Amino acid sequence: MAKKILIIEDDKFLRELIGQKLLKEGYDIVEAVDGEKGIKSIKDEKPDLVLLDLVLPGMDGFEVLTKIKEDSKIAQIPVIILSNLGQKDDIEKGLKMGAVDYLIKAHFTPGEIIDKIKVVLK
Amino acid sequence: MFWKKKNNNNIFLGSDLTIANYLSDGLFVFDRDDRLVLVNLQAEEFFQIRKEKILGKSILGLSRFPNFGPLVSLLTGETKEFFRRELQPRENFILEVTSTLMIIDGEKSGTLVILHNVSREKISEKMKSEFVTLAAHQLRTPTSAVKWSLQILLDGDLGELNEEQRKILQKIYKTNDKVIRLVKDLLNLAQIEEGKFLSKIALSDIEDIIQLVINANRNLIKEKKLNFEFKKPKDKLPKVMLDVEKMKIAIENIFDNALRYTFSGGNVSISLEHNNKKEIEVKIQDTGMGIPRDQQAKVFSKFFRTTNVMKVDTEGTGLGLYIAKNIIEAHGGRIWFESEKDKGSIFYFTIPVKESFAEFITGGFY
Repeated sequence: MAKKILIIEDDKFLRELIGQKLLKEGYDIVEAVDGEKGIKSIKDEKPDLVLLDLVLPGMDGFEVLTKIKEDSKIAQIPVIILSNLGQKDDIEKGLKMGAVDYLIKAHFTPGEIIDKIKVVLK
Repeated sequence: MFWKKKNNNNIFLGSDLTIANYLSDGLFVFDRDDRLVLVNLQAEEFFQIRKEKILGKSILGLSRFPNFGPLVSLLTGETKEFFRRELQPRENFILEVTSTLMIIDGEKSGTLVILHNVSREKISEKMKSEFVTLAAHQLRTPTSAVKWSLQILLDGDLGELNEEQRKILQKIYKTNDKVIRLVKDLLNLAQIEEGKFLSKIALSDIEDIIQLVINANRNLIKEKKLNFEFKKPKDKLPKVMLDVEKMKIAIENIFDNALRYTFSGGNVSISLEHNNKKEIEVKIQDTGMGIPRDQQAKVFSKFFRTTNVMKVDTEGTGLGLYIAKNIIEAHGGRIWFESEKDKGSIFYFTIPVKESFAEFITGGFY
């Protein structure tokens, strides 16, 4: 069965680019444009992995991460933070809050991001 | 002569007190026994206190008064004479403090402490670097979009490409990556200038940090077929107080230059020395393009890249050494180089050996 990836990203272009690449690699994808819809999608769709942006309208990525980890039914789903905020403090905070990895969008190609996903899902 | 000696021990500013009161800088004068004998109007204003309350007190005695803590620490520190050290007596209020000893007839007669208000400049600097940080982060979204779409095209996901198409797309990809690197450097720079600067200082092994940097660059060394050597000293080096993340950036920037500006088959080496007890010296040497003599003075300035390097490599940002210098100097170290065009360069920097946080602090880090 194909692995399901949830993409929580408010920028339409970036969302489409990474989504397209994931589909090509044989993954199923679910998309959410903000934090609240993202959390709802996790609960409804139970993805195998979540790609989470931090700068989102309304609830920010850190809040979303907190809510995921608070809910025992979804806390174990691995979350990779995919953000352009990249100061050391943010990275440490994200990892400490339970994200399995923190990737700066501008520093990784979609292919490299998928390699990281493959490692986590192994 | 400005100062009059009144009885054996005290110097005394007579009717010239008026001049002191018209100064836009604050003034404290301590006598030979370190007792406060003069406070001008501006100093009263800066510290929000009437001079009657503090005149006659010793330096240590001043610490009982609100806002005086940091000043007392500064005045009782290692050096009695210092120039423009920063002090924040209260919220949003920053002073530059200068202290000089007054010598009359060959003996110390007192200490002159001058306080210069730099709050406005500091706020302006802070706003500037906050702006740079914001702009840099904003720039990452479109550059990510360009990077990702180009990669998708280059992967052939949207159809096969001919050689010409591939070539031009690769060029665009590289150009965009240059913008991304510039953004990264600007963010580092803004952080440095914001004085969010040395944080998480801990006793660390400089050898380990250098090794990390070397490991991260293994591929480049191999690709360029460079002969690389890491010469470690025979005795184990002492651990030193460092901001590991920042030091890593500094070393990375210098090493990156050595690798990038040395042609295939050339030599690059890093060596460490602990000659005297007080410093560790790191030497990064290459047989690369070198820095022409007439451009050597500008090497550490922002955005500067030499003409011979720009002809060969359009990708650097010109910020690497500026950032490295800032970081090394903030640690109390020095950085310098020797270089000859087409022969190569040697970059040296020192790290003072301070083994305790207290030593680190009184050495002038803040």
